[in-house]
Amino acid sequence: MLRLGEKGGRFIRVSRRTIFFFLLPAFVIIGVLYYMLLWTVVVSMTDWVGMNPTWKFAGFKNYKLLFSMPRFWVNMKNNIIWLVVFVVPTGVFGMILAYLLELFPSISRIVRPIYLYPLVVAPIVAGTLWAWFFDPQSGVLNSILDLVNLSNFKAGWIADPKLAVYCMIVAGIWQNLGFALVLYTAAIREIPREHIEAAKVDGANMRQIFFHIVVPEIGHATLIIFSLLVLYTLKVFDLVWIMTRGGPGYATEVLPYLMYRITFRQLLVGMGAAVAVVILMLSIVILIPLSKWMMARWIEE
Amino acid sequence: MNILKNAVIIVIIVFLAIAWILPVYVMFTTSFKTLAEVSTGHYLSFPTRFQFENWKQAFNILKLPLKNSFIVSLCATFITVFIGSWSGYALARFKFKGRNGLFFMIAIVTFLPYQIFLIPLTRLIVSLGLFNTLSGMILSYVILNTPMATLITSLFFRTIPKELQEAAFLDGCGPVIFYFKILIPISVSGLMSAAVLSFVNIWNEFIIALSLSRDPTTRLAIPVVAGLKGSYVAQWNMLMAGAAIVSIPGILVLLFFGKFFIKGLIAGAMKE
Repeated sequence: MLRLGEKGGRFIRVSRRTIFFFLLPAFVIIGVLYYMLLWTVVVSMTDWVGMNPTWKFAGFKNYKLLFSMPRFWVNMKNNIIWLVVFVVPTGVFGMILAYLLELFPSISRIVRPIYLYPLVVAPIVAGTLWAWFFDPQSGVLNSILDLVNLSNFKAGWIADPKLAVYCMIVAGIWQNLGFALVLYTAAIREIPREHIEAAKVDGANMRQIFFHIVVPEIGHATLIIFSLLVLYTLKVFDLVWIMTRGGPGYATEVLPYLMYRITFRQLLVGMGAAVAVVILMLSIVILIPLSKWMMARWIEE
Repeated sequence: MNILKNAVIIVIIVFLAIAWILPVYVMFTTSFKTLAEVSTGHYLSFPTRFQFENWKQAFNILKLPLKNSFIVSLCATFITVFIGSWSGYALARFKFKGRNGLFFMIAIVTFLPYQIFLIPLTRLIVSLGLFNTLSGMILSYVILNTPMATLITSLFFRTIPKELQEAAFLDGCGPVIFYFKILIPISVSGLMSAAVLSFVNIWNEFIIALSLSRDPTTRLAIPVVAGLKGSYVAQWNMLMAGAAIVSIPGILVLLFFGKFFIKGLIAGAMKE
């Protein structure tokens, strides 16, 4: 049985066996990943506690328990704070910055790479840097405040349950602004130059061009960038681990951290899997439309 | 008026950029200072005297973990890009039933948080007897990064003219020969993008590295640097030295392969 290879006018015969031969490694790895996904769902419905997998089916007990814990809802609340205070500024700021840098090409050649460096720095390193900045005792911020006679504004920062999440989000924005910038720059460069030139001829100023031409024409990029930033908030782990370990108490925990904590520290594996499934569900809400949209673009080409 | 406005924007852009580079600058300068000098509070000042004590100390702790990290990151990157491009070629250039569905399934797992795979992955590694081994971590990173590599390389392969494959096939060259002899050499840029992105991801990765090895001889650099914060409490110069050391590979990669890194990021978000 022969199948047709992709053609450029002429048909090329590629056997089904050849196609399978090429796809086999991907099949194996994708298979393993989906099998793991299923496994996590199954484990979340067991009473598995401890290192070794000895479990009995427990139905939705883990979920019921999880949803009744105030700790879980603190986690959810923190995830929502990340969603608002991290995703929106990173995305909007990245968009504006990309536009401004495009307006001043000579400066941006020097300036743009600076925003990329945080991207290749490990989140653990970024967290160490910002943990020092926000440290209440020997931290940079408090000692600067002392130096400029603003001691009144000194605070506990990452030791303060109310402020700590926001300190972490500062680190997150610092690290990810470059990501939004790169993608928005690429998107802005795809806008046909005539559109912008035509607007200039009509006497539009920078701000009008931004709001009436740039923003609408990079809608697809906005969709992708915001989706990816939302997904980031569902995997942020390193910053929490290095800056506060979720503390004080569990004031700065987010779901990805809770999952690790419950599974590997408290060894409540079934429960940890339930948290993983919650993360999975929230991710899927973003990922299905995103992947469908990517697929549509992929087919088009 | 317009000139003034432009000047204001330029000043803001430049100041913001300076603010963005400061943490990295402070990390490097502080790593050469004595603790006494750090506590004077002149964070932006250059070290009065470069002393390499912190670097020596941090490097001693990190020597073996750095070697492990290099082995794991390089091996995993190589295997990931090879497997990813192998299947990526079929995805980009062969027509078969369920191709779009396969693409969709790959896209989904590419972006899922690692936490979702963490329990079964740990079980898999333990049951293969690979817990606390570098091969266990290489295997894990290959599994987790191949979907991304497949997507990125398949995107790059799609930009190669179809006529090239057609001509090669008409000359009697099979797909395997075509892949090795023609596709790989002309796709260096695409493969490099996937490789650079995978390398940086794996080098900087934390949760898998933290979970799959507890043995000091097989620990990777990032978890060891993370551990320093607990054992050198408030010795910021020492912590900055450790942080600086593990940041160097990523910074060098960006310096020399920045173009590929950016291309990879853009392709990874599927925009080419």
